[in-house]
Amino acid sequence: METKNVELIAHLMRRAGFGATRTELEELAAQGYEATIDWLFNTEKDDGIEIDLARRYHPDYSGGLGMAGFNAFWLHRMINSQTPLVEKTTLFWHGVFATGYAKLAQGRVLMDQIEMFREHGFGDLPNLLVKLSKEPSMILWLDNNDNHSGAINENYGRELLELFSMGVGNYTEDDVKEASRAFTGWTVANTDYMTMKARNDSLWPYGRLNLHFEFRENDHDQLEIDFLGHRDKSAGESVVDIICQQEATAIFIARHMYSFFVADEPPVPSWPYTPPRDPKAIEMLVEAYFENGYQIKPMLQRLFQADFFKDETVWYEKVKSPSEVVAGVLRLTGEYDDYDPAMNAEAGSVGVMGQSLVNPPSVEGWHWGDEWIDTGNLVERVNFASSHFNDVTKPGVRQMIDGFVLSTGGHASPERLVEVCLDQMGAVQISHESQGHLVAHAARDGSLEVNGEDAGRRRVAEMFQLIAATPEFQKG
Amino acid sequence: MTATAAKLGTLEYIKTIGVTNNGDNGRGFANPYSIAIDSSGNSYVINRCDPVRARAIRASVQDFDENFLFEFSEGYGSGPGQFVLPVAVAFSGDDELYITDEHNNRVVVYDAKGKFLTQWGQGGSEPHEFDGPAGIAIDSSGNVYVADQGSNSIKKFTSTGEHVSNFGSDEDGRGLNQPWGVGIDDGDNIYVADWRNDLVKKFGSDGTYLETYGGGGDVRFNRPSGVAVDSEGYIYVTDWGNERLCVLTPDGLGYADERGRATLSKWAIDYFSSNPDETTVRDKANLIPDLPPEYSNDPYHVSSQTEPYFWGPVAVTVDNEDRVYVVESNRHRIQIYKRS
Repeated sequence: METKNVELIAHLMRRAGFGATRTELEELAAQGYEATIDWLFNTEKDDGIEIDLARRYHPDYSGGLGMAGFNAFWLHRMINSQTPLVEKTTLFWHGVFATGYAKLAQGRVLMDQIEMFREHGFGDLPNLLVKLSKEPSMILWLDNNDNHSGAINENYGRELLELFSMGVGNYTEDDVKEASRAFTGWTVANTDYMTMKARNDSLWPYGRLNLHFEFRENDHDQLEIDFLGHRDKSAGESVVDIICQQEATAIFIARHMYSFFVADEPPVPSWPYTPPRDPKAIEMLVEAYFENGYQIKPMLQRLFQADFFKDETVWYEKVKSPSEVVAGVLRLTGEYDDYDPAMNAEAGSVGVMGQSLVNPPSVEGWHWGDEWIDTGNLVERVNFASSHFNDVTKPGVRQMIDGFVLSTGGHASPERLVEVCLDQMGAVQISHESQGHLVAHAARDGSLEVNGEDAGRRRVAEMFQLIAATPEFQKG
Repeated sequence: MTATAAKLGTLEYIKTIGVTNNGDNGRGFANPYSIAIDSSGNSYVINRCDPVRARAIRASVQDFDENFLFEFSEGYGSGPGQFVLPVAVAFSGDDELYITDEHNNRVVVYDAKGKFLTQWGQGGSEPHEFDGPAGIAIDSSGNVYVADQGSNSIKKFTSTGEHVSNFGSDEDGRGLNQPWGVGIDDGDNIYVADWRNDLVKKFGSDGTYLETYGGGGDVRFNRPSGVAVDSEGYIYVTDWGNERLCVLTPDGLGYADERGRATLSKWAIDYFSSNPDETTVRDKANLIPDLPPEYSNDPYHVSSQTEPYFWGPVAVTVDNEDRVYVVESNRHRIQIYKRS
């Protein structure tokens, strides 16, 4: 029997997307939880994103001189896409396969990688890993252009095993060497010129020059590989196939998924020494992986349908990443349904809060969880949300206030003010302690009357600001 | 929509002007978006950029031999003479420059020495108001024609900004859809790059619909951005979505397609003479590579890694010698051709 619980669907939309407005939640709840999952996985429908418009209006996105235009457009997608799970999964893979502008000095090539995640992120893992291995961004990021027959560079082979698929402790140093050998000759065309342009951060004479993959047979070590106990022909595809057959890979991907979509886990380097928070959940995801030919989509479907995901004990157990905070707030305020140059500044806020998209701190990516809210970042997050909810003229804020008036008739006790504002912000649930603080604050000004005057509407908006500062809103 | 064969003639490649300049001043371009040529052959190029490089938004002026002359703007913003998202520029018969700004919803006027003169227009939905002014052209009487994207129309004004009329909504049963560039011929006919309809449309100066190009036959466009007409009536269209320049005969037949043949400009040569290490390595690179299948069917991606090709051709204009200037936003340069 389908649940039509609005709060549960709000939880789903926070995890599988970037949150939802009260109106959206009502529409989804009318369909039911299972139908909402189907809607999230439906990639056939129009996502509402117009690439041609983005290229027309944002030359920085079109030409990729830097990354600001791309980041603004990605944020636009997070806010407006009608396929939010695609954007969320793209963000997920970007975190796992972290690749950064700092070394590449090439925007377009990173945009191509992100687009590849968008296109293949639900598909089978072997395909995704092969495509990743051919991404020029990844080749330069992890030096596979220096991985030659007879003179291997282990960087990519090592990270493929350590950070992208299996995790330390599940392979030997010989396996690293054999994997690296299999990827010799996987490089980019015009290697010397491209690497020099990246090293010099050269945008001359005519802007950035995009890259493409090139396989050089004469630089490929043809000798059969002995990898993870398998003897096979020397090819990157062979290495990926063997990797994807490993239980360690299934567990590694499952833990990443759990940590990203369900509840915060410690960072990847701790995994060899720290058991999963919910071993049975990992087991279920691993089963889905093997039962469905290493496909990602069935794993995610099982995750969102599972009791461990629906269980209220994991609600608000994930600290929102900066992109989730910013996109979530701007979805509610409804101020960016078009391409506005001000979006660049909003995207900049994501970086100020500690998550410069396509420019992670290292190949290990960002550490999620409590590290997002060290003191300085928390202040930035609260200030960002507060500054946006403060403006009662923003369409989304106006709509939430109108919804408040509709629900209360414009008269509300302090308790009711808090309760309805939480509901209008996306069926947010907070602890009794947090609720007590908010009610105490609201009680200072007594009961609320919203009778068309600005002061009453401002009090409602002020409550939105305060709710945005609660631990529950900062989590998801 | 893909390009189709159209080979009645050819274009002679003349030269390339420009180099990337991501700084705040000096020679070179930063996402050039439009160009106007004065009677001496000096080119006035609008550098658009995104807000992150707001200080690079300016007009830069150079002669045909690539001698940098000067630059001007009143800065980034919405104050007098300032720009946020400038789109297009055109000279009036009085040698005044009219520049549209789709964010500020207005036309800004400078003189040819770069002195701010005036501005007019405001955002809104009234007939005289703008909703994203883009392309601009000025007729022999000084009337100003502006492609207004949001209202899907061409707005006609006097030279001082008094509203005259609007047209383009449904003359051929298919109204303009987010029009971009506007061109004009010697008979004061108006040509509109009907961007979202993948067409070019021709109107009389009174707004009478005359003709549509690119809707079939041997010429099909994909998001055309700019249009210009030479002294003999040949029509030049920057076919933005196909990353090419299309040339049509005066009666609308396909005359030539040009994918781009850029060479090093004088400023680019200067750059490499100062950076010989890059020159040596570059000389060994293949700048027209054979691309794998996943790239080869997408003109945007092909152009992103094929340096001589047009990438982001956003505007086209013709000078008084019928030389054709194609503005490439993503390559920060101007390629110049002439009909053979």
